[in-house]
Amino acid sequence: MSTTYDAAVDDVSVEAPPPRRWRPLTVTAAAMAVALALVVAFGAGWFAHARNHPGEGSVEAGFARDMSSHHAQAVEMAMLALDKSQQPDLRLLAGEIAQAQQAQIGMMQTWLRSWGLQPTGHEPPMSWMTDGASLMQNGLMPGMASAADMTALRNATGGEFDRLFLRLMQQHHLGGIHMVDGVLAETSEPDVVWLAQSMAKNQRSELEFIQQIITKIGA
Amino acid sequence: MSISTPAGDSSRQTAPPAAKKATAGAGRPPAARGGTRGSGGSGGRPVNKGGKPGGGGRPRKPVTPVKVSQGRSWGPIALFTAVGVIAAAIIGYGVYAVTVGPQTWQEKAEGISGISDFRKTDPTLVDTRSHKSGSIQYAQLPPVAGDHNVSWQNCMGDVYDAQIANENAVHSLEHGAVWVTYRPDLPKDQVDTLASKIQGQEYTMMSPFPGLDKAISLQAWGYQLKVDNAGDSRIDEFIRALRVNASQEPGVGCSGGVTATGTTPRELQQQGQ
Repeated sequence: MSTTYDAAVDDVSVEAPPPRRWRPLTVTAAAMAVALALVVAFGAGWFAHARNHPGEGSVEAGFARDMSSHHAQAVEMAMLALDKSQQPDLRLLAGEIAQAQQAQIGMMQTWLRSWGLQPTGHEPPMSWMTDGASLMQNGLMPGMASAADMTALRNATGGEFDRLFLRLMQQHHLGGIHMVDGVLAETSEPDVVWLAQSMAKNQRSELEFIQQIITKIGA
Repeated sequence: MSISTPAGDSSRQTAPPAAKKATAGAGRPPAARGGTRGSGGSGGRPVNKGGKPGGGGRPRKPVTPVKVSQGRSWGPIALFTAVGVIAAAIIGYGVYAVTVGPQTWQEKAEGISGISDFRKTDPTLVDTRSHKSGSIQYAQLPPVAGDHNVSWQNCMGDVYDAQIANENAVHSLEHGAVWVTYRPDLPKDQVDTLASKIQGQEYTMMSPFPGLDKAISLQAWGYQLKVDNAGDSRIDEFIRALRVNASQEPGVGCSGGVTATGTTPRELQQQGQ
């Protein structure tokens, strides 16, 4: 350490210096340095964690959570159709929807895990999307079937089931594409862009398929 | 170098510095040894500059009072500041880590006051998950884990207005559902509040459950939390921490289950109404 003492000459006794005090400026500077370090370290932790992927309140996390729920209902409806419909093309469509959307749920849940986020967020559904709250209807995301719709679908049989299924799935896909457009407008996260674009493409072609079946069975 | 002698006033006035190092000079007399506390410092200069080499003659006068530089001793200041900064950095990161930092869902669950963690207290129960038909006795009511019916209760955010079978419900917990139960005398506005948290949210379901010791009880596989009213913020915390995460079979869904109510377990062929 560089505690420096001036040369003192033999036999020379000098008055003792006045008692030293930590001067306010020094104390302030040190305190500021400490406070700065506190803030910087906190920020560094946050930054290091958030830098490489979307965070808790991000559009991408909101989309992954909400679209997982949205997809889960489509899978539920499609599995009912596989179980109940007598229409071969409708069953084909239902199998495709169930497989694709269940796989996509897995992808979205994996994003959340790898981003260090929970499957359940703090915000209400659709909060991530611009004007998303206004798209909610009776607490449901765009295109989602209500509990009453689902009960009706479970109870329906034959042609009645097919027509109800096609109508509900049509709404479901239209709502889903709306959400996909919402995330594509706001994200540049490569995996999210890639999956969202493929969802839009698939669901648009499935909408055509739905329309063909509706025309055929005269729903 | 020790920081235990940070050049306090007294030491500076009484202890001649440079005792040790000074002797490394040109064979100066050890006279200055009187200042044995001289952890003085490398910057210290020998005090008895004019002394004769090769002392040992008559004892020299003590050299005690030394004029000390009026300049600040930056060394200790810098050292303390550096230590402070490092400590602050550690604390800052620590605060980050425990507040907003990535926490596992288990840590989040443990942080909920009043939660019962059967994964710790009863690991055997939590590892018991065979399919059994018929009625099953559970140690906890509502049950939190254990053997269960082959059919699960539909847990796609279903709000059941009547009791459901424990045996089917436990299977839903295994799939990662949070099951919200409430005493049938819970006021309707509180039931509605609960339902708004459940409706449409897959991996959740809700049903009345007579005989609860508190108004509301939440279950996930291996976890339980009992609260007095639907406004309790721990309800949301419980759902956020454990919904999906508590699953014993990740990826398995909640649809395709029993949608009927009633306490008699529904077997495979009775899933519908």
